[in-house]
Formats: sequence, structure tokens, C-alpha cells
Amino acid sequence: MDYYFLLCRSLTYAQRTVAILERGGLSAYLTRVPQTVAVKGCGYGVKISKRYLERSLSLLDYHQLYPKKIFAISIDGMYQEHPMP
Amino acid sequence: MRGHQNPVEKPTIYLDSAATTLQKPSGVSRAVAYAMGHCASVGRGGHPTAMLAANTVFQCREAVAELFHVPKVEQVIFTQNATHGLNMAIKTLVHTGDTVLISGYEHNAVTRPLRKLNATIKVAQSPLFRPDMMYQRFEQLLTPDVTCVICNHISNVFGYVLPLEEISALCHTRQVPLIVDASQSAGVKSIDVQQLQAAFVAMPGHKGLYGPQGTGILLCNQIPNSLMEGGTGSDSAELEMPSYLPDCAEVGTHNVCGIAGLLAGVRYVTKRGVVSIAHHEKELIKKAAEELTVMGNVWVYYDHTQIYQSGVLSFVVKGMDCEEVGHLLGEQGIAVRAGLHCAPLAHRTVGTMEGGTVRMSVSTFNTTREIEQFLRVLFRMTQR
Repeated sequence: MDYYFLLCRSLTYAQRTVAILERGGLSAYLTRVPQTVAVKGCGYGVKISKRYLERSLSLLDYHQLYPKKIFAISIDGMYQEHPMP
Repeated sequence: MRGHQNPVEKPTIYLDSAATTLQKPSGVSRAVAYAMGHCASVGRGGHPTAMLAANTVFQCREAVAELFHVPKVEQVIFTQNATHGLNMAIKTLVHTGDTVLISGYEHNAVTRPLRKLNATIKVAQSPLFRPDMMYQRFEQLLTPDVTCVICNHISNVFGYVLPLEEISALCHTRQVPLIVDASQSAGVKSIDVQQLQAAFVAMPGHKGLYGPQGTGILLCNQIPNSLMEGGTGSDSAELEMPSYLPDCAEVGTHNVCGIAGLLAGVRYVTKRGVVSIAHHEKELIKKAAEELTVMGNVWVYYDHTQIYQSGVLSFVVKGMDCEEVGHLLGEQGIAVRAGLHCAPLAHRTVGTMEGGTVRMSVSTFNTTREIEQFLRVLFRMTQR
């Protein structure tokens, strides 16, 4: 299964993101940002299933909580930047 | 305090909750112990123990945000105590030489940082339990030279509930930022951060919120000065501190064990209800005040309307030094605090600066029987 990674501003923002998505019935997983895609060093982000991307972004938009960047995670673990909506 | 044993195994009636609540809900010590054994550092790793710590801290932010109607969880900042939060707030809004307006009931946690900043301090002096007169003084003194207003919600010496909502509205109208010291009101007065529109609200975690000592909260409507710089677990490649809440204000390793205990305390307060806790405390203080008043040789500082009185009460025994009263009560297993309570300004305002007062302060765990025992002991003492 393919995943998307929402790079968040901080741990607390990532935690808010997870809370909003889970309360909206969507699975979301809080995780560290790989250094290869980190913008300013260490940080946290949220991993979601590919099929939830659109609903997730719509839910986050409703709560005015926006990821800094979005990455698609391929089956071999590579991160590729995905355009922001 | 029922069931509590002090180090000499003597039962203590604990009436010093304005300093710290000694008896906590049972879940608090359990949460602290659990965190001690299971929680690592927040934001310093992705392993399960770090994530458990992060989750604990986030849950506490959420619980605090819900209790105080804070719009976003990141506006909840964890501090060491209320003094820490007040210093952050003051040193964000007040600059050297600024003019600041404060109430006549402020704690040294407010006046000492202002002194350090060499601020010009205007004091809205007004008599005890006269919120109408206090509001008038604020209205008169809130002139264009004032850059910041700082106001207690409840006096830590006299339990006087100040007219905070009115003062806040005045500040809002005149567009002057307000800092609120909610040290005595958090957990016993409803505080709605959105309605209050204060720039900052500082409070301890270890008093009315029943958390452990070493915990405090700063509710932020703007970005505060952290007072320190260092690791935040975020933006680590940058030399500059993060510019966003809460990372910009929480430097170094969190007091996760304390915050875990605070979470249990906040959940207790939310479940029991602020109004219910306040009612219980007011009833205890009413009983104490009414009986102290008829002892004859005790002077009580009490609002007989009860409207502006909280669970804190000051009194003096005529002919006895307040420290002697405190000491003798302590020998009888009753814990009160005597002296100036780190608030000489409040004593100057009321006219008790010379001798200080004896302060009794209750929590949700005190009982009527404890107050009766305290009154019996004090009565015997005053009849010597």
C-alpha cells in the first residue's frame, strides 16, 4: 500500500493533525521526519494511507491546519514531494 | 487533612492550599509514578517511550485547553510554576522604563520582575472587597502612557476575587495588553481565555489544578519570550529558536512526570467541576470566618456578602504575632501560613503590612470537621 507523509511544523502540530484525522475516522500515524526530507532539521510528521489523502487534506483545511509539505512514499520507501493543494 | 501523615507521623489538618495543595487526587501520584517508569523525552525521538511522553504532554495540553476554553492547544505552554509564566509574559510585554498599571493586590512574582525592568509602576489602590472602587481606579489610571496592565484574579492573601472581567473589557477598549495572574483562581473560578482576551494568563499547576510542584501553565494569545534558548526537538538545523508556539516557549526537556500528574489533576477538576469545588471551599471559609468573627479577639478579613471571597481567608489574633499563631497551630497539627505571603503590596493596600496576617486556605479535600477542629484549637489558643 502506498502512503503519504504530511510534514508538520512541529510535534504539537503533528499531534493536532493526528487528533483531527482520527476524530474524523481516518487512520493517521505520528512519526519522525526522515532527515533526507527534513527542511530545518529534526521534526515530526503524519503518515496516512494514499486513499485518505484527499479526505485528510479537506478535513485539515476545515480546521485551518496545513502541513508544510506533502510527500508520496513509494513501495521502496522513497519520498517524493507532492504538490500542495 | 484526613489520612495524611506528616514526617513525624502526626495527622495534619492542611489549610495552606494557597501555597500548594498537599492532598491530590489519587490518580496524580499514580500518573507521576507511571511516567517516571515509562515516559522518555518529548520531541526527542520516535521510539515508543518518547512517543508515550509526547502523547501524555499533548493530552494535558488538550485537557487544559478544554478547561480554559483555549482555541488551539499550542497556546498552552508548560512552565515551572506561575512565577515562571508571569516572568515570560512580563518580559515579553514590558520593556525597560515602560509604565505598567497593576492592582494593589499583586504578588512579588509581578512586582519584582517589574522592578528589575525598572518599570514605572502605577498601582490601582482600592479597599478590600470593593470591586466597584477598584474598577474606578483602573479607569482613572489607565492613561495613554500605560503600555501593559497586570491583574490578579484572586488575592493570594485575602481571597478577594477582583473584577477581572471588567478590567479586561476596559483594557480591550483602550487597546492595552493584559496579563492575568490566575494563581489562586485556576481550578476554582471559570476562566474563558477567549472571552477574557488577555495577552497572557499565568497559573501554577500545583494549586487548584492539583498537579505536582514544578508545574505551571502560561496560556498565550501571543508569542511569549522564552527567557531561555536551547533545544526544542524541532528545527534543529537552525541557530534561531522556532518562531511558533509551543516550541518557541518550551526549551529543554519537559517535566513529563509533572505534566502527567498535572493531567490527572486537571481531569479531576474537570470531572468534579470548578463551580462545585468553589462552592465547597466557600462553605468551609464561611464557617471559619463566621466563627472567627465571634471569638472577639480575632480580626477577620472577610466579605460577608461572600460574592468576592474565595477559599482563602486572612485573620489576625489581637495581641499575638501572626508567626506565633502559625507556629502554635503547627504544633497542634494545623498547617497555615503566616507573614506577608510574598505579597507586601496587598498588605500595604489593606493596612496589614506591619504585622502581616495568618492565612488559612482550603481545597476540595478539606472537611467541615477539620474546620471545626481548627476553630477549637484556635479558640483555646486565644483564651490563654
